[in-house]
Amino acid sequence: MQEPLVLLVILLIAASLFLFVIYPLYSVLKTSLIQRDGSIGLGVYSGLLAKSYNRRPLINSIRLGAIVAVLGTIIGFIFAYCTTRVNLPFTGFFRAVAMFPMISPPFIMSLATIMLFGNNGFITKKILRGMVNLKIYGLGGLVLVETLAYFPTAYLVLSGVLQAIDPSIEDAACDLGASWWQVFRTVTLPLAIPGIASSLLLIFIESLADFGNPIILSGDYQVLAVQAYLRITGLYDLPGGAALAVILLVPSLVAFFVQKYWVSRKSYVTVTGKPSGQQISRSEPWVKTAALIVCLVLTGIILLFYGTVLVGSFMTLWGVSYDFTLANYRHVFVVGGEHIKDTLFLSTVSTPITGILAMIIAFIVVRKEFFGRQALELTSMLTFAVPGTVVGIGYILAFNQPPIMLTGTAAIIIILFVFRNMPTGIQSGIAALQQIDPSIEEASCDLGADSSTTFRNITLPLISPAFFSGLVFSFVRCVTAISAIIFVVSGKWKLITVAVLGSVENSDLAQAAAFCVVIIAMVLSAIGIINLLVYQPWKRGGQKRLKEPTISGGAESWIGTA
Amino acid sequence: MNRQLVRAILICVCVILTCSVLGASASPSKTLHILTALDPNEAKIYIEAFENATGIKVVWVRMSAGECLARLKAEARNPQFSVWLGGPSPEYIAATKEGLLEPYQPKGSEFILPEHRDKDWHWVGFYFGAIGFASNTEWFEKNNLEYPTSWQDLLKPEFKGQISFAYPYTSGTAYTILATIVQLMGEEEGFKYMVELDKNVHHYNTSGSACVTQAGLGEVAIGIAFSHDVMAKGISKGYPVVLTMPSEGTGYEIGAMALVKGGPEPEEGKAFIDWCMTTECQDLFQEWFRIPLNPDAKVAEGAVTRDEVNLIDYDDVWAGENQERLLEKWRDLTNK
Repeated sequence: MQEPLVLLVILLIAASLFLFVIYPLYSVLKTSLIQRDGSIGLGVYSGLLAKSYNRRPLINSIRLGAIVAVLGTIIGFIFAYCTTRVNLPFTGFFRAVAMFPMISPPFIMSLATIMLFGNNGFITKKILRGMVNLKIYGLGGLVLVETLAYFPTAYLVLSGVLQAIDPSIEDAACDLGASWWQVFRTVTLPLAIPGIASSLLLIFIESLADFGNPIILSGDYQVLAVQAYLRITGLYDLPGGAALAVILLVPSLVAFFVQKYWVSRKSYVTVTGKPSGQQISRSEPWVKTAALIVCLVLTGIILLFYGTVLVGSFMTLWGVSYDFTLANYRHVFVVGGEHIKDTLFLSTVSTPITGILAMIIAFIVVRKEFFGRQALELTSMLTFAVPGTVVGIGYILAFNQPPIMLTGTAAIIIILFVFRNMPTGIQSGIAALQQIDPSIEEASCDLGADSSTTFRNITLPLISPAFFSGLVFSFVRCVTAISAIIFVVSGKWKLITVAVLGSVENSDLAQAAAFCVVIIAMVLSAIGIINLLVYQPWKRGGQKRLKEPTISGGAESWIGTA
Repeated sequence: MNRQLVRAILICVCVILTCSVLGASASPSKTLHILTALDPNEAKIYIEAFENATGIKVVWVRMSAGECLARLKAEARNPQFSVWLGGPSPEYIAATKEGLLEPYQPKGSEFILPEHRDKDWHWVGFYFGAIGFASNTEWFEKNNLEYPTSWQDLLKPEFKGQISFAYPYTSGTAYTILATIVQLMGEEEGFKYMVELDKNVHHYNTSGSACVTQAGLGEVAIGIAFSHDVMAKGISKGYPVVLTMPSEGTGYEIGAMALVKGGPEPEEGKAFIDWCMTTECQDLFQEWFRIPLNPDAKVAEGAVTRDEVNLIDYDDVWAGENQERLLEKWRDLTNK
């Protein structure tokens, strides 16, 4: 190796990945194999799977995941098609609203559903006058809530794919006399199939790992992520919980590998970075009207849900008394003040670390050749495929005893944040780097710069869009995470999503709503701050910006599990 | 090459420094760490009063009773907390068996009856609560029905899909319900009852007192929970619910607290436990409608005291020892 610095960095990264990604997973696996009498074996698994009330959550989780994946992809596709292929007004607005579910805490949808459609919900009581009993606790409610929460993933992937399809192919079809439907059926749809497959798999993984929504709405429809958590915290059964976590991990990993190594390789879109013509967009009136209606309905539903939460946060006692009050916000800032401070501190510390680490890893994976490169890349992406519950259990098992004792510290939370949020940034970085011609960096080397100078002066500025979007998504996920961090919070470090869960468990809906509003405010300000105060000046700082990578859809879709 | 080497060394040093800074969990020795299963709004009351009375600063975390036990078990080699506060006694009995608690007889604890503490003082009771029913007044009015006043009432066909409480395996409250029925009716009859009751249940929660608010909101008509939760989270909050007690007899919980074995601040922990025995602390229970065990403490208006209610001879030591077996049987029979 010519450069000891690069080698050192690679080794450090490999060591930290091993420690903070592989070792916790190994701890979970190891714990799950400890049978009742202390020996090692599969007794825990056979004992669990023998009972139908343990098999049922697994089947439920998979079934829910499949339904949500299909529905989410359909809605995401329709929405993506409407905003990219149809000449609609306000596409920016539609796009922004469609992204709301991505930047908000997971329980918001469930909260809004209860507030609107619960037995005492606003719509059920006031509008439908109690005539219809909507069963929201269970599969129906979960499907509704998760579809709304995860369709943005499909939307991002598919709008990226649709935008990247070379328009000249569709133009050619039109020139040959094909109707709109024929073009769609024979050209657009087949080219979008890898994107569709990606969305299905990504949403499936997200749904499987979903914790925040089922813990509120699942009713009798038990899902595995919650059961693993309950087995540890309700039945004090560490091996059993670990075993359920491993069982939860399997479909998730399978879907992840299928997506990464089979589907994404079959990309049919052209990757030149230069669109060869104008994107055709439909302007027939009936298409425009239909698309407009669809978009309005969808964004309307989303805005209704968020609006309900916003309004509900000002209510005294949702369902009983709709008097205006600020008491909930007082509670949030007085009792929850520590939670807000701690969350802000921990997120602000871990976000830059995540961003830089992600870029470094993307750089060495794409540009450097070394033994174990594939393994390194895979490991760094692994925490995306692993459900939060599994990660959380792994961290408390791995780090509560020598040689590394981290429970109760800020370090364990920061590390958890960094390694869980890295995959998004890494994927963005890899996608961005692959778009950039290596000859620019080679020129820099020819002129005598070493790797770090090249990285700093050439690469980083060129991939800055990916870097900044990585920062944004990392911060968002820090502030809205629940399924992993619920295991590692302590007396000294409190996180705001745990406070929301506490309020919801107490059925203090208005209070929970107030917390959610505060979280969204934090997220929006962070996006605003990062964008306006950091990114814009950087851009204006005289850097010649290369054309932004056109395949952006795939990268940002790695928002993943909460 | 030289510059490279220097930079490499600098990075190493930075990494090591960062690790040691992050790893060091510095906490001043006079801060007491408490793990509590009480509602956070409630725990705040007692803990702040303690801080004001003694000047000892407290850092506390709230989790449900089962989670607390799981956390203490996971941390057994390196406990982060000195005191475990609140939550019903079965979890404390299980913890004693696992050797997680330090025996300590608090000063001023003469009023504690033997059934309200561990025989070797591994844990000590400090409040008392009885199981009751929370009923939504509007639903009962609309359907022209009487409030349930007995366990048998809950099996009525009119209440199909109208009852909720928690899973006995995630909530101390719900386990107390199960253990009460089993002790009241005998094991065989008791489980037959639980299976029948399950048919009327709309859904189970993970948290024991969630059903009170759900009854208040009209999501269900009847919730089964501790009477102090019905009062504190239902009636006094303004929800339209009433509290009724089963006439055959009801079970109760002894709210316990204990010194954690190997905890970081044993002296401060003992001071806290001593303080909880005083009327200064137990008077505060009025705010949450809990029944103090100290006979000299004041009791809240409307709260259900020991003599007002028909209590069964609830043996919580037996309940704690048989918890795993009973829970498994319940899950097998109800398949939930």
